[in-house]
Amino acid sequence: MIELKNVSKVYELGGEKIYALNRVNLTIADGDFLAITGPSGSGKSTLANIIGGLDTPDSGDVTVDDQSLAEAHDRALSHYRNKMVGFVFQNFNLQPNYTALENVMVPLTFAKMDLADRKKRATECLKIVGLGDRMKHRPGELSGGQRQRVCIARALANNPKMIIADEPTGNLDTKKSAEIVSILKDLNRKLGVTIIVITHDPRVAGEAKKKLTITDGKIR
Amino acid sequence: MRFLDYIRSAFKNLSRQKSRTFLTVSAITVGSLSVILMVSLLTGIRTSLMDLLISMDAFSLVTVTPDPDALEGGGGGLITSGNGGPLSSDAKKLDDAALATLRALPNVVDATPIGSGIWMEAMRLENETKKMWPSLIAYEPETKVFQMPIQTGRKLTSLDMDKIVVGSRFLKTYGYTDHPQDILGKKVVFIMKMGGSAPDWGELPEKPPTNADKEWWDAQNDKERLITAEIIGVAENSAFDDNQNYINIAWAQRLMTQVRWEWDDSARKACEEQSQRERRPVDCASQNTLTLMKDDQYTKNGYGSIILKADNPDNLKTISAAVAAKGYGVSTAEDMVEEMNKVFLGIGTVLGIIGGIALFVAAIGIINTMVMATYERIREIGVMRACGATRATIRHLFTFEAAMLGFWGGVFGLLLSILIGKIGTKIVDRYATDIPIPIDQIAQFPWWLVTGVLAFTTLIGVLSGLYPAVRAARLNPVDALRYE
Ligand SMILES: Nc1ncnc2c1ncn2[C@@H]1O[C@H](COP(=O)(O)OP(=O)(O)OP(=O)(O)O)[C@@H](O)[C@H]1O
Ligand SMILES: [Mg+2]
Repeated sequence: MIELKNVSKVYELGGEKIYALNRVNLTIADGDFLAITGPSGSGKSTLANIIGGLDTPDSGDVTVDDQSLAEAHDRALSHYRNKMVGFVFQNFNLQPNYTALENVMVPLTFAKMDLADRKKRATECLKIVGLGDRMKHRPGELSGGQRQRVCIARALANNPKMIIADEPTGNLDTKKSAEIVSILKDLNRKLGVTIIVITHDPRVAGEAKKKLTITDGKIR
Repeated sequence: MRFLDYIRSAFKNLSRQKSRTFLTVSAITVGSLSVILMVSLLTGIRTSLMDLLISMDAFSLVTVTPDPDALEGGGGGLITSGNGGPLSSDAKKLDDAALATLRALPNVVDATPIGSGIWMEAMRLENETKKMWPSLIAYEPETKVFQMPIQTGRKLTSLDMDKIVVGSRFLKTYGYTDHPQDILGKKVVFIMKMGGSAPDWGELPEKPPTNADKEWWDAQNDKERLITAEIIGVAENSAFDDNQNYINIAWAQRLMTQVRWEWDDSARKACEEQSQRERRPVDCASQNTLTLMKDDQYTKNGYGSIILKADNPDNLKTISAAVAAKGYGVSTAEDMVEEMNKVFLGIGTVLGIIGGIALFVAAIGIINTMVMATYERIREIGVMRACGATRATIRHLFTFEAAMLGFWGGVFGLLLSILIGKIGTKIVDRYATDIPIPIDQIAQFPWWLVTGVLAFTTLIGVLSGLYPAVRAARLNPVDALRYE
């Protein structure tokens, strides 16, 4: 279970305070499929990054399975991101000089796994997203949809509790978007992974179990 | 991340920018090359010198020179050649009387006079045209001072006159290195030019005619006198003195004795006086006679030096003090090693500064390369953080990359300097057999130099990578991921 209590994130620009998040309270149950929508600049990414342990709130606390993230330092937080969270990005963020397999192996390397085990697990993950035949391809040799699937496989590598996807279909056409969403849905249903998707696309949001809208750093 | 993963990742990342990596590594290569060449040269020379000193049992020897004020061991020291030259007023003659006194000093087991720098133009093997720079050391062979190792043939005895023990350089020059026994019995020719005089060996000089003019004397000056010596042995000498050849001091004394004709005008003067007294004109010019004059250098000026052997290396100081008290110059191998260390320290410092500057510039190159790399890979750093990399992991990643630049620079520096050493040896072997410096032994790469260089260049890499690595680790992951 993921719980946010009174989470605020404030940026100060030229003496003016901008609340990226303003006293947000939120509970996400295990196995949920949550879609977050809202206008640009409303604080969606900030929220997702705080849940994912990439960013820290200025006040309030996030607890995941009764473990507080607010008190965690770099090591603990990195370990949390490594084991519990998988990130999927709008622009894929794959390592251009690595093959698909090597890209998926990145989080496993940080988990200090054996090279042989890493290869095995990365292969499994690529098969799950339907890229078993593209393992030796580099990102430049893959289509946008395929790249996003590599990204999902990478997010999946360490068997995370949750996958956080920040506009995963933002760079894809309708057909590819549907493919990505169906993969995420499968992961949610078959593996019980909690999915948090940020999206502007109502069709994507429509596939989620729950929906949530943010405006000006507040949940509506 | 595991150690091997860091190395793999550093390797992958460095091969992304091949030309930049190559240039950065080259700078380290050049820097380390200069340091390696300098160290290997200095250690090479030092080791051959020490080898020589040890092989000669030099640490139980005391060299006595005529001049207490002279900086070096005058003439005829162990290493230095030359025959002393003009002596200062303080100098004491190292003649046979001196030899006897010195030999009688307490703790002295034995003593030998040393002569070198025998007047000579060149030397060569008989029936060969190639000449060698003359390099002869004369000593009393039947003393306990030198245990001259012989690789083939026999040692000198005090009765040997026109006999010579040649060094390995001589063998090499005439191509006998692989079959040294074949050179035994062959003759070495000393080519001497002594003007109108001759050594006290072989033919007498030509009597000058009564009407001897400048032309006649010039002709005498150009006259080559050939003295032959039979090769009876080949010395097993060390790399540093392999150009040295050895003869008996008794023969050297004969060679160093100048024989010349001098006009004796006493008969003419007597004739002239008589003719004046008797007031009767007589042609007295024909009364001039020629007498043979002999000038024994060693008796007149003393030996170049005298070497004493101590009963025990611990007594060198006592002996040196006793010799110095008698007003002679004295030097021991220890003094020489001390001097040598001073010189080497000086040369080492200068070369070290040059190498240091080169490496400093190379280190700046690494910093520059790594700062560029962190800029290029900001987004990547963000992704790695999102995938679970700690700040320390990022720091280590970049440090390993920088360390690898240094490490490969060191590796190529070593390979290149070994190559240069090999090529240098080839060239020296082919063109300069006569140079009395054994280059083949000079470039040495002991294990401590190899590991030391690799450790040092790697350390330079680590230190240069520190700042860029810390910068990369400090990046906020959210900002890094958003970076365009
Ligand atoms: N580093 C920063 N410095 C200053 N302001 C920031 C910073 N990061 C975010 N903000 C502000 O915080 C607010 C929320 O940003 P966030 O990225 O969460 O929006 P978002 O909902 O994800 O928008 P979008 O849909 O365009 O991605 C924005 O008003 C933004 O200007
Ligand atoms: Mg956003």
